[in-house]
Amino acid sequence: MKFQIPIGPQHPALKEPLSLRMTVEGEVIRDADLRLGYNHRGMEKLAEQRTYLQNIYLTERICGICSHSHTTCFVQGAEKLMEVEPPRRGLYLRYVVAELERVHSHLLWLGVAGHEAGFDSFFMYVWRDREIVMDILEMISGNRVHYAINTLGGVRRDIDEALRQKILDFLGILRTRTDYYFKLGVNEPSFVARLAGVGYLSKEDAIALCAVGPTTRASGVAFDVRRDDPHGVYGEVPFEVCTADSCDVLGRTVVRIKEILQSYNIIEYLLRNLPDGPVAVKAPRRAKPGEVVARYEAPRGENIHYIKANGSDKPERLKVRAPTLGNYAATLVMLKNGFIADIPLIFAAIDPCICCAERTVELVDGRSGRPTIVRWSELRRMAARRAGRVSKKRNVEWPL
Amino acid sequence: MNDLERVERIKAALGERAVEITNPAPQRIFLTVPVQALVPALEQLKTELGYRHLSTISGVDMGDVFEILYHIGYVGGNLNVRTRIPKAVPRLPSVCSVIPGAILYEREIQDMFGIIVDGIPDGRPLLLSDDWPAGVHPLRKDWTPTRPEEKIPGGKS
Repeated sequence: MKFQIPIGPQHPALKEPLSLRMTVEGEVIRDADLRLGYNHRGMEKLAEQRTYLQNIYLTERICGICSHSHTTCFVQGAEKLMEVEPPRRGLYLRYVVAELERVHSHLLWLGVAGHEAGFDSFFMYVWRDREIVMDILEMISGNRVHYAINTLGGVRRDIDEALRQKILDFLGILRTRTDYYFKLGVNEPSFVARLAGVGYLSKEDAIALCAVGPTTRASGVAFDVRRDDPHGVYGEVPFEVCTADSCDVLGRTVVRIKEILQSYNIIEYLLRNLPDGPVAVKAPRRAKPGEVVARYEAPRGENIHYIKANGSDKPERLKVRAPTLGNYAATLVMLKNGFIADIPLIFAAIDPCICCAERTVELVDGRSGRPTIVRWSELRRMAARRAGRVSKKRNVEWPL
Repeated sequence: MNDLERVERIKAALGERAVEITNPAPQRIFLTVPVQALVPALEQLKTELGYRHLSTISGVDMGDVFEILYHIGYVGGNLNVRTRIPKAVPRLPSVCSVIPGAILYEREIQDMFGIIVDGIPDGRPLLLSDDWPAGVHPLRKDWTPTRPEEKIPGGKS
């Protein structure tokens, strides 16, 4: 017997509006369908009516977490169209902010993952340390969320020697803390048990469905735009692409923590080799007719902007594909044959207490419709049998 | 493999299917194919040459024609497959049989440009709201947004 359960667009478990329709059979999700657009703001249409400079501030508002990703991707393209080359110091500072943003975004995700897995002290520790990154970003740009540091032909603010030293000191603190979280995240048994084997996405599916970012890297596909399509300073900075082969949520956690550690190395390299000179050059208002494709590795994956110029000071067309859209098709596959554990709040909303009222459970066979009474001891045996079948936990050092 | 070698290989593999192939910037290749040859060309690119990651599909309203670009990422850069369809007959073949991950981008193009994608596995609306008027497609150039007049219940005092 199959049921359809709608989740969203407005739902306590979702932070943003999104409509999911789950077809469930018993406890198992058999099919999932998606409907978007509840937060559609028509930005691609609006961008055609704004100048290139105004569009930087428009693209910054596409996302509230990876705001720098979209402006960087846009200015990379617009600078190519205008044939402007930003000075070295400006370029280095642009990607220092980019990597700091990746760190803060991954720490945010790590905290949320801890919270969703019921490990709230992890969430609070991680978010406390995320404040260090937010403080650095505020010291560099003056803002916590929308940094507004990119401009056509460079960046808008410079840093002095004292601030450079301060950032390097803060990085030392962050590095020790992140090492500790890495140890904790892959060793804490209850946390690992909650994450391992959940949301399985095979390598073949990740490739076929064009998944991006940590999602595809956790399925063993080494795809990172920073290495595969070098842009900005990434051609000259040493770093490695982090992958995991467990194909589940645990793998995605491991990949993200490893990437944070790589980002610290990149920031340190950029700050230690920071060139002297100006941070920006003057850019023209108009761009010659032409087209450009700009790609950027945002914290969530590949971000791509396609800009077509018609010779005026406004773009003819700006197409934006944010990384999350590239991952939706893969997410629907991950949900299939998983459990309703993702959607517990629907049931909790009526606050039932069935197990307190009864010590036996009445089960109804889905096919025949015949009810049977199951004793507590039998239920425990069933649970033990099921636990023996769950997928193996990899990348784990069991401390006990 | 550098850009020039890639261009030569694509030219050799696709033969007549490749109408035009340019390399305007480093790491960027633009390939034009007729719309009838789109699916076989993408199939060939994927199976023979290993271009398997579709980043997104862009549509551009050029007046009388729609220009559709398939942005394909590879290790080392980005290949953009371009095709043109007349605005009077806006029909496009679905590429989901070759690249299953194209489904959401094709649904987006259907909503935003009013292009009918033939053979799409799931063609329901994705982005536009349920009460959006039929036959109106926001990213066409002949559509301009109008802001509805603000109505305050009870009126302004």
